[in-house]
Amino acid sequence: MKRLLRYATGLAVIALILGSSLDIASCSKNGQASSEPKKLYIFNWITYTPDSVIAKFEKEYNCKVVYDSFDSNETMYAKLKAGGSNYDIVFPSADYVSIMAKQGMLAAIDKAKVPNFKNIDPLVLARAKDYDPDNKYSVPYYMGAAGIAVNKIKVKAYEHSWSILSRKDLKNKMTMLDDMREVLGDALAFQGKSVNSVNEADIKAAEDLVNKTWKPNLLKFDAEAFAKGFAAGEFWVAQGYAENIFQEYDPAKRGDVDFFIPKEGGPLYIDSMVVLKGSKNLDLALKFINFIHRPEIYAEFCDAFGFPATVNVPARALKKGDMWYKPEDLTKCELKLDLGADLDKYNTAWQEIKVGK
Amino acid sequence: MKHNLGSSYAAPQALWLTVFFAAPLAIIIAYSFMKRDLYGGVLPQASLEAYRSLANPTLLVITLRTLWVSLAATVFTILIALPCGYSIARSHNQAMRLFLVIVPFWTNFLIRIYAWIAILGNEGFINDLLRALGLTTDSVQFLYNQGAVILVLVYMYLPYAILPLFSTIDKFDFNLLEAARDLGATRMQALRKVLIPNIRGGLVTAVLFTFIPIFGAYAVPLLVGGKDSYMLGNVIADQVTKTRNWPLASSIAMGVTLLTGLAAVIFAATSSRSNHHVEEDSGIGSVSATAGIPSGGQA
Amino acid sequence: MAEKGHAKRRKGISFSDFVYGAVIAFLFAPLVVLFIYSFNNSRSGSWHGFSFIWYEKLFMGSGELWHAFRNSVIIALSSALTATLLGSLAAVGTSRYSFWYRPYVKSMSFIPMILPEIIVGVSLLVFFAGVGLKLGMITVWIAHTTFNIPFVYLLVSARLEEFDPSIIEAARDLGATEVQTLLRIILPITMPGIASGFLTAVTLSLEDFVITFFVAGPGSTTLPLFIYSAIRFGVSPVINALSAVMVVGTVLLIYPARNFLKAYAAH
Repeated sequence: MKRLLRYATGLAVIALILGSSLDIASCSKNGQASSEPKKLYIFNWITYTPDSVIAKFEKEYNCKVVYDSFDSNETMYAKLKAGGSNYDIVFPSADYVSIMAKQGMLAAIDKAKVPNFKNIDPLVLARAKDYDPDNKYSVPYYMGAAGIAVNKIKVKAYEHSWSILSRKDLKNKMTMLDDMREVLGDALAFQGKSVNSVNEADIKAAEDLVNKTWKPNLLKFDAEAFAKGFAAGEFWVAQGYAENIFQEYDPAKRGDVDFFIPKEGGPLYIDSMVVLKGSKNLDLALKFINFIHRPEIYAEFCDAFGFPATVNVPARALKKGDMWYKPEDLTKCELKLDLGADLDKYNTAWQEIKVGK
Repeated sequence: MKHNLGSSYAAPQALWLTVFFAAPLAIIIAYSFMKRDLYGGVLPQASLEAYRSLANPTLLVITLRTLWVSLAATVFTILIALPCGYSIARSHNQAMRLFLVIVPFWTNFLIRIYAWIAILGNEGFINDLLRALGLTTDSVQFLYNQGAVILVLVYMYLPYAILPLFSTIDKFDFNLLEAARDLGATRMQALRKVLIPNIRGGLVTAVLFTFIPIFGAYAVPLLVGGKDSYMLGNVIADQVTKTRNWPLASSIAMGVTLLTGLAAVIFAATSSRSNHHVEEDSGIGSVSATAGIPSGGQA
Repeated sequence: MAEKGHAKRRKGISFSDFVYGAVIAFLFAPLVVLFIYSFNNSRSGSWHGFSFIWYEKLFMGSGELWHAFRNSVIIALSSALTATLLGSLAAVGTSRYSFWYRPYVKSMSFIPMILPEIIVGVSLLVFFAGVGLKLGMITVWIAHTTFNIPFVYLLVSARLEEFDPSIIEAARDLGATEVQTLLRIILPITMPGIASGFLTAVTLSLEDFVITFFVAGPGSTTLPLFIYSAIRFGVSPVINALSAVMVVGTVLLIYPARNFLKAYAAH
């Protein structure tokens, strides 16, 4: 018992010491001592900006970047809406930019301070008008789409189309994302409808397609580990994001995988950089946004993930690495927009899909 | 008994829990009675919408399914934990045996789940073995179904059941078994009619501490479950994060809490109906012992 | 141990021992897999040869991971300490005395266990926002202490239940003051409960994911949060190495105290 007491006391002392360092650790709110480097707080998707880019920025502007991540727009939004998080830059998707703008959460971007804005592809800006007229609040970061990855060793002949999901010979060897807008959007696109349709008949048709034709062939809906499962050979066809899939493969084996954006098109996403209204580092935040759109930096970002340089035009020439798909593949794709109250129609359809056997 | 001292001792905790637990809890209960804000959160308007939405046939399906999976997992866990607890209690090296049971807990639970995926997968260890032995040509689909969910849940919660059962069995007077044998009972009969009733307290606690967290499980069905494994925990999570319907998430959570609370009360009531003196201790003692185990509402 | 009264001890392994052995194998199987794959010379699922690269990466190139680890340890120890202080004190208060809000204290200790964690997380988030507390290490510490208190309280209470109050009476009769009674008598006797409460709190805190996710702020990522995001992007072999290190480390730490583990389980 004595030994225990000593053990416990030792732990308690350590805890006290560490606990008091807690205060020091948490003292790094805004308003730090002027001798400390400035801090920029970024809230981004998991691993969406390469460490090398962040390091370069930190070095050039003599600051520290605190990078926190989220795995979905909804969790990001839930956290921000409840308040209490002091991030400077956030990377929402298109529909959430308009939601956050409507809720008054965003600061207007002073384009004069972001001269590299001119590098952005006007086609992308045109699309952005749908959710942020005049690009008042957001600067596009990346435009892309989820597609279908196929294990070429196991599946020999197939079309570059959503119809691959109805193939009974691939039963239980396929997955789709656990994402309502993605899955229903895919079905809607396949049926020639808009991914933003709020027509109940369209939605029902899409729901039926997924429920009756596709779902019986699916192993599961997975947005977490689909890449790992695909790489491990658990399934041979995965609807998902290219960058996740290829990250799981050793470069030597990447030839085993074919990734394509189906010819019927599908949901498109544009992730943007926005600055939160309460940000205390507005200038630094704008510098960061400007930094990202330097052609060589943007190229570095795209190379890190195998992206085509969809948003930044001069970067396209500077890219050195592979691309998992090309910007042209995205022409038939349609941007996912905020549906407002009509989202409930999708909710109900999705609930039916998730629950049934 | 001096009144003041007790209340001063308990005051700090009571204050802390009131501020940081009761208040947030009240918020959630309030949310369940409010109108949902389209963009997440609530509008300051009263509404029973969230509760009315509970009367949804799909929700009933999910509830029954969750109940089924939880009961199956709990039953298997208890059935396996009983002999284990017995074995530890009877061993000469209890500390070591307990230690072995607890050590796996010191890895992150997400990682343990992913390790199971590596074992059960189509290209995983077990399938490789089956193919090597020539027992199958194609891989057997172990993962992404209810069976996998139950298996992994049992895996996660065995220690929760083993520890309290060990604790009660440890206090059991094995001479009673001897006596029963002397009076002509078979081994099985002795175990069934003498041991089991006397460890009822620990048994009840083991059941409670297994069933309750399993019922609210979220991560395990998400990661190793398939199309047929969408459970109540997942529904609540989705309502908060995906459909932004916080009032509904709150009302479902209230429902889950009530259900499990009810189960807990019923079980606790049956355990207190014990007449053996040792029972009393093992009732509370088992509660405390089991409380000593990491609880995983997040599983 | 003779009083335990064995039936004639059969040679060979009894059924219960067999089940126990199988269970231990079952519990350790994934850990063995992890351990083996932490030496895998490739990041994919199949074996490509033995290598230490992931351990190298773990100790050389994983600044963020260690930062998260450090945060986890700080939060675990400090929240466990706070919870142990509050909970033990309260347990002493409720077990020995009766006062008007005693039922309140006792019931508050049960509810957290039946509430889904996601609801606890979200409600705390909303609460912090409501009172204007910025998310960060402090909010995580508050959340962890809050869910740890009930466990400490229950463990210490249980220990006190089986405590013979006549000893205190005797001490009183012999003139001991309240403080003396507390420190010299109650404290030592409840030590197993307090220690196991503290350990439980540390474990719970280290493991927690859902609640921490909602209340963590910029820069206060904990290890489970980090692992969650890392696993999605396939940094797993480094995490396998970390897990192996953690298991071995903890075994080395706890092994000497294994005898007290028995007290921990049997309160």
